[in-house]
Order: sequence, then structure tokens, then C-alpha cells
Amino acid sequence: MSAATTETLDAKRNPMWSSGYGHDAIATKTLGFWLYMLSDAMMFTALFVAYTVLGHTFNAAGGPWATAVAHPGTAFKETVWLFSSVLAYGFAMIALKKGSRSGVMLGIAAALVIALGFLAVDAHEVMTLFRMGATPERSGFLSAFFTLVFYHGLHVVVGIAWMLVMLVQVAAAGLTEKVVYRLLNLRLFWHFQAVMWVFMFTFLYLRGAIV
Amino acid sequence: MTHTTDNAWQHPEVQLAGGGYVVAYVVGLALMGLALWLVRGHVGSPLDLGIAMAAIAAVAAIVQCVLLLHMNISETQIWHTVALVLFIPLFILALGLSSWMFHGLYRRTMMMTVPHAAAAPTQAAKTGG
Amino acid sequence: MLVHIDGPWSPLLGRLALSEIPYTNPILVGTFIFASLLAVVLVGLVSYLGLWRTLWRDWLTSVDHKKIGIMYILIGLVMLFRGFIDAVMMRTQQALAVGPHSPGYLNSLHGYLTPYHFGQIYTAHGTIMILFAATPLLVGIMNILVPLQIGARDMAYPYLNAVSLWLTAAGAALVMASLFVGNFAHAGWFGIVPVMELPYSPGVGVDYWMWAFQLSSIGTTLGGINLLATIVKMRAPGMTWGRLPIFTWASLSANLISLTTFPVLSVTLALLALDRYVGTHFYTAGLGGNLMLYNDLFWIWGHPEVYFVILPAFGMISEIIPTFSEKPLFGYLGMVLASLGIAGVSWGVWLHHFFTMAAAPAVNAFFSITTMAVGIPTGVKVFNWAFTMFRGRLRFELPMMWAVAALFFLLVGGLTGMMNAFATNDYMVHNSVFVVAHFHMMLLLIVYAIFGGVNYWFPKVFGFRLEQRFGKWFFWLFTAGTATVFIPMFALGFMGMTRRLDYVPFPQWGPFLDAEVVGIAIYVLSAVFLVAQLYVSFRDRAANRAGLDAWETSRSLEWMTHSPVPFYNFAVTPQVHARDERAWRVEHGVDGLRPERYEDIHMPRNTAVPLWLGALSFGLAFGLVWRIWWLVEVCSAAILALIVIRSFDHDTDYTIPAKDVERMERAIRDVPSGRRVSGDLPDGVPALREGL
Repeated sequence: MSAATTETLDAKRNPMWSSGYGHDAIATKTLGFWLYMLSDAMMFTALFVAYTVLGHTFNAAGGPWATAVAHPGTAFKETVWLFSSVLAYGFAMIALKKGSRSGVMLGIAAALVIALGFLAVDAHEVMTLFRMGATPERSGFLSAFFTLVFYHGLHVVVGIAWMLVMLVQVAAAGLTEKVVYRLLNLRLFWHFQAVMWVFMFTFLYLRGAIV
Repeated sequence: MTHTTDNAWQHPEVQLAGGGYVVAYVVGLALMGLALWLVRGHVGSPLDLGIAMAAIAAVAAIVQCVLLLHMNISETQIWHTVALVLFIPLFILALGLSSWMFHGLYRRTMMMTVPHAAAAPTQAAKTGG
Repeated sequence: MLVHIDGPWSPLLGRLALSEIPYTNPILVGTFIFASLLAVVLVGLVSYLGLWRTLWRDWLTSVDHKKIGIMYILIGLVMLFRGFIDAVMMRTQQALAVGPHSPGYLNSLHGYLTPYHFGQIYTAHGTIMILFAATPLLVGIMNILVPLQIGARDMAYPYLNAVSLWLTAAGAALVMASLFVGNFAHAGWFGIVPVMELPYSPGVGVDYWMWAFQLSSIGTTLGGINLLATIVKMRAPGMTWGRLPIFTWASLSANLISLTTFPVLSVTLALLALDRYVGTHFYTAGLGGNLMLYNDLFWIWGHPEVYFVILPAFGMISEIIPTFSEKPLFGYLGMVLASLGIAGVSWGVWLHHFFTMAAAPAVNAFFSITTMAVGIPTGVKVFNWAFTMFRGRLRFELPMMWAVAALFFLLVGGLTGMMNAFATNDYMVHNSVFVVAHFHMMLLLIVYAIFGGVNYWFPKVFGFRLEQRFGKWFFWLFTAGTATVFIPMFALGFMGMTRRLDYVPFPQWGPFLDAEVVGIAIYVLSAVFLVAQLYVSFRDRAANRAGLDAWETSRSLEWMTHSPVPFYNFAVTPQVHARDERAWRVEHGVDGLRPERYEDIHMPRNTAVPLWLGALSFGLAFGLVWRIWWLVEVCSAAILALIVIRSFDHDTDYTIPAKDVERMERAIRDVPSGRRVSGDLPDGVPALREGL
């Protein structure tokens, strides 16, 4: 076995120890963070499993079901806010490509403000549902529905907090290696939650309007 | 263990950013709008609509994965893509097998037929989706 | 939003009150006194030897993967001991409480444990053994070995590695705290719903269980990310996928499982927490909840978790057997594919834990077939090990003995597992001790592999071999204990004895249970020999000093650096040329350690932040258990603040200049391995070492 791979190798002349060898720190960090995002996708999957299992009319226990709580129109409004924030963060990344600190900060600030717009619509929607008596405690269906909504909302809140931290770090430290990989990780995080939103929009909000 | 670069922003992963973001934005919104329009207009049976929506969501997710998350097989991104590709069957397994086993369970335990005051008869008949 | 709970509650202490301290239970008081004495002795010893500074600087704040690995293993061993005591109590209770005329002691009608207390013990035993013994032991071993085997200086994220460790430690501490403050869950280690729900378990036991599980789950997910990124990104030059040591492949497969399934566990437990804290209806028996959703989600994690712990065990066996057969591993590619195959199949078998749920026949058939399919890659592994030994020069030193014995348990556990895989058969044995005996065979296989691995790599980590005479006594007594406990248990399973009985109604089962007590007594005796082995090894460590390659026929990269391994692992990153690099270098006479020139080494700095994060997580979980909201708020805020503050620390690494590396390297004097370092091998015959 080992002989097969090394027959042509002259052991005496080959270097035994490598020199000048180093790892790409940024690529290592982003890979790890991407793996983390995938584990987060698995958490979304588990929540979608709960939503699928508890998605039947009898899981509403006589309370409001998908037809009453999922508002596709509002959800599309949220989609516009969210995708715009993602685009703004994308512009920050394009500025980073040119090494423009002010461009990065401008893009992040725009993404942050737009994300707040999303949160406002989201919160208003949830409060409306709460006022009409559709709360997570009402039924298994609503528990699963709101848990997904809140879990995605939590991502937006965390993203906003992270953007605030990055604004300070870009201003204070400049585009150092640590700042750059964090900006890249934040890009993964922010763009990833948009992908999750696609599924939220389709299977949470639109599905309620079909049946 | 690691080596530092003076111009970290010249890293190949930073250089991935580009105009694709605008395309992803336009296509993403268009697809979501299309799905909304289909649902609002009730074009087709619920089953057809469900399939169409799932297909649109899949296309939108792929577009975003490629254009926003830069899933490709270049040297910088190959491991990100491999990781995602390895995960996708698990998403499907977890969701698919769970729905399958509960679908059978609900039928066999006759939970589907439990009457509920608030559930309209038409809804109760179509809860399989 | 918060669920109202009857009973006293104060803003300062939440549900905690003096009455929650079980000072009336003589068993727990005894345990408390024992634990306190142990703590006093340990603190006294550390103070007497003046080790506080070393402890803090070299261990608690360390980000060195080897030290973190050792600390994982220490946690695992302490919890293994705790879980073992639980096992002793269960065995003795069942043997005492047989038949209506059996006597009762300590307020118990039969035996000496009340049903509620017994319930807590079997729950604690399962939880501890799986999550706080097996998992930390294996994660610890992976932590130590994987970077060494791939020629890396440390893990990809040394800081995150420490965070994982301290989260696991916080979880273990929470389980321990439940002994003396409040109580533990009494509804089985996997949580029987709806018993886990608030109306049926209003106490804090389930909360302890839930948050300890959650902490361990988060820690293991992060650890999985770390190991995967390490294996993908940190390999030494020349370490291609085809040359990756087999244990590293096994770790890779195992961590694919942990990365994909532990998030599901986190969700499962989080939804249970929502049910218990804010009154949602995920798993409730009514208002649209579904009990089986819990089982579904739990076992999506639960079954792959079994393979998460078994794959590193297989990996260790695969490293030990070639070394002591003096042959390369047979069927490397088959072994790799089998590991990945097991990881893959693990994702499609979970329903076999609840075949009796009454899913459609096609569903049961599907999961029955996938479960049996696990036998294929496992069979490949068994045959590969057998062919590795075939015509090898077998040396039955301690690691090899443990590894070979593990194969027997794999056979027994695997074949009984096949029996359970038939859905029809499972309806018969479901919830019986037959199933318990089956999975204990599998878990004991892991324990055997761990003991084999510890014996095998101990000299690499500590620089001296473990003593073999007491070690062999330990091995044989442990094996005798295993046989005496579990053969009667299989029999009882066939006789229809169900799990978790605090009272055994049929006197004819008594003799079998008595035999199991004899077995557990042999286990206790074997533990004495384990302590003796460790003590004698430590006392005679100078005589047992090991060279680079403690077993002289080892094959992989970790045996190419000093024993014990210096903190930077390799003075210069090795260039890898072959699958079994160490064996290849010995074969070609180039196994010298001196490189042509030294280079600067870049290392991560020690930090106390992970330790604080662990402590705060403990506080957070403790606050949640007792519903002490101010503590929850303070700890959450502090955790977030600490993470943000740490992100502003730009001075997290340092460089060791090449000349310092050279000075340190020259100061290390390796023990000669008993044969020439370079030149031809004397005809492949291993040189005999003194005393063996």
C-alpha cells in the first residue's frame, strides 16, 4: 500500500521537513463559520420538521390555523426589506474588494438601517397576531409557526448587533485580517439568513394562503 | 500556525464580491413576487400550486447560493460547496422521512378525522399537504 | 408569557430554598461528605505542592489541544466513575427488591431506593455515560490525536476548542450540582414525553437534565466544526486524503455526524424548554401538540450519536491492530468508505427506536432495512481487522488485548442489534432489558477501544508507558465483570423483563439479578486494579520512559515527535510522503528528528475567556433551572459582553523565534527506542525491550 504511492520517491533526497509553510487564516475561519451556518440550517430544518408535523388543522386545536395567521402580502413586504438589506451588505463587500473603508462602513450602515425596517414590519405583524389571540401558547400549530418566525427574527437581531460591532471595528482597526474575516463571516451569516427566508416565505406564509 | 497578510482585503474570498449581488436581488424578488402572484390568483389546484411554489423556492435558493454565497467549485470555495452538497440530502431526509412517518401515523391513529369546531370541512379534507 | 408554577418563588433565589437541599437522604449526605472530602484533599494537595499557578496558567487557561484533550478525558473519567456508581446502585436495588417479601430499607418499600430516586439514578446513568463520559473521552482523544496525526500545530480554532471544553465542563458540573441541590430528571436519559412536560414533572429535575444536555450539545457541535475544519484545512504538506491516518478518517466521519445531528438535539431540547417555560404545545398531550414529534426529533440526533461515539472507537482499533500485527492496515480504502458509509447510513435509521409507534408498515420496513444496512460497512471493518491480523506478527500487549476484546463485543452487540432491527422482533423485545444488554455491548466495545487507546497513546502524551501487569489484571477482571453482568441480562430480556424496574415482581428472575450483582462486584474489584495500574505506572515512570515510538512498530505521524509532545507538536512541520509516514521513514532509514533548519513558530496565546464563558454558562443554566431571572439576565449579558470584548482583542497570537525553537528542541533528550534510529532494520524483527 504505502509502497505503491511512494515507489518512485528517493527517500534520501526528498525533504523530510517542510519550510515556509503556513495556513490561510482567512479561508480557515470562513470555512469553520460556513460549517456553523450549515449546522444552523439543520436547526431550521428541525424547526421545519416540527412545523410540518404540527401543521395540520387539528394541531390548531380549534384555534386560528395557517389560513388566518399567514399573510403573504405582509411577508412579501418583509421580503423586499430583507433582500434590500442583503443587497446593501453586498455593496459593502464590493467596497471591501477595493479596500475602501468608508464604502464598507456606508454599506453596512445601510444594511443595518434596512434590517431595522424589516424588524419593524415583522414585529408589527407579530403584535397584530398576538392581539387577535394567536399566541404561541394557543396551540401546537401556533407554537411551531411562531418559533420559526422568532428564530428567523433572532438571526436578524443578531445580524444587526454584529453589524454595529463591525462598524466600530472597521472604524477603529481598519481592514486588518481579523476584521476582514469577520466581515466575510458576517456576509455568510447575512446572506444565509436570506436563503432561509426564501423557505420561510414559501412554506410558512404562502402555504397558508393556498389551502 | 497562520500567516498574516498586510492587505487582508486582497484575499481571494473578498475578491468574489461583484455584480452578481444585484442580479440575485432582482431575480430573488421576481421569483418571490411570482410565487405570491400565483398564490394570490389561485391559478391551479392546491397541489399544483404547492409543487410550483416548492420549485420556485428551490430555484430562488439555488440562485442565492450561487450568486450571494458564491457556491462554486473554484479553489477558494470548493469546501464550502462540498459541505453544502453533503448537507442537502440530510435536509431532505429529515423532512421527508418525518413527514412520511407522521403521515402514516396520523392515518392509522385516525387523528385526521377528529372533528374540530373551527376547522372548516374543506380544510380538513386537504390537510395532507 | 412565562408559565406559572405553583409553589414558593422568590426574586432572589427563584425556586431555590433550603428544603431543596436533600440533607435528609443518607445516601446523598454520604455522597456529599465524600465529595467534600475529595475536594478538600485536592485543594490541599494543589496548595501543598504550590500548583495553583501552574494549574491556572498551564491548564485552565490553556488553548493547547493536547491539554484540552487531557482535561476532556479527566471530565470523562470522573463522570464515568459517577455513572458507574449509579450502575452499582441500580444492580443492587434490583437484586434486593425481588418479590413481594423482599425487605425495604431507608423509607423504601422494597430495596433501599424509592421509585422516584431510582428513576433519577437510571436517568443520570444514561445521560452521564453517553454525554458526559463516552463523548468527552472520545472528543478528548480526538482532540489530542487529530492535529498530531495530520502534522498540525493545533486545532483550526484553539480558542473555540477551549470554549467547547468549558461548555462540556459546565454541563457536567450541572449534572453534579443536581445531586446536592434539588434533584435530577426521573424520566429516562432520552426523556419520556409527556412525563418530561411541566404538568407531570413540575420539579427542577427535568430542567437540570435539559440544560446540562443543551450545554453539552452546543459544546459538541462547536467541537465538531473545529475538528472538521482542522482536518480539511490544517493538514501538513503531502498529507493527501489518501494518506490520512485511519483514526483521522474515523474522526472526520464522526464529526460529520456531530455537526449535522447535534443541532437537531439543540432544537429538540429548546422546544422542550419552550414547552416548560413559556407554555407552548410542541410535545404536550393535547392542544395540538404531538408526543411523537419529540421522539422523532430526539432520535434524529440519538441514533447518529451512537455512531458518533462508535466511529472514533473503530478508528482507535484500526490504529492499534496494525501496530501490534506489524503489518499495514488491510483495506485502507474499504475502511475509509465504511466509516463514511456508517456516517451516511446513520441518518436514515432513527425510527427503529420507536418501531412500536405504529407508523405505516412500509415505514417500519424502510427503517428496518436501513438499520440492517449498517451491518454492511461494519462487517467490512471486522473483516479488514481480521485480515490485518492474518499472518501478522501478533503481539498481545495491553492495547492489543483491549482492541481484540472489543471485536468480540462488536460481534455480540452487532448481531443482537440485527435481531432488534427486525420490526416484528422489536415489537417483542422493545423496552426489555434485552435491548439494554444489546446497547451496553456496543457501548462496552467503545469503552474497550477507549481503554485500548488510552494504553496505546498514553506514552505519547505523558512520556511513559502504563504498567502492564496490573493492567492485565484490570483487563481480565473487567472482562469477567462484563460477561457476568450482561449474559444474565440477555437471558432476562428473553424472559420478558422490562427496563427501569425499581421492583422486580417475579422471584424466578432473582438468581439472574444476583449473578449481575456478582458481575458488578467484579467490576468494582477491577477498578481497584485500574487505580493500582495508574499508581504503579506513575511511581515507576522513570523505568517506563518511552521513546518517540513507544511500541516500536507504530505507523502514523504522531509517533514522529517527542514523547511527551512539546507544546508546538513538531519543531518543523513534517513533509508527508506515504500513508504510514512513520513506518515509511523507518523503512527508508530517514526517521531522524533533526531538521536542516528551524523556523519561527506562530502559536495562539492562552486566554481565560473560555473558562469564564463556561462558568457563566453554568450560571445561566443554573438560573434557568431554578428560575432565578436576575442570574439569567446577568449571565446572558456577561456572555454577550465577553464575546464582543474578546473580538476587540487583537493580540491573540505570538511567535516563537527559530533560535528558541532550536534551543528547546536541543534541551529535550529522547530516550533511545532500543534500536538504531537510522539505517536498515534488523530484518524487521522488533527489538525486545527490557521488562516486557
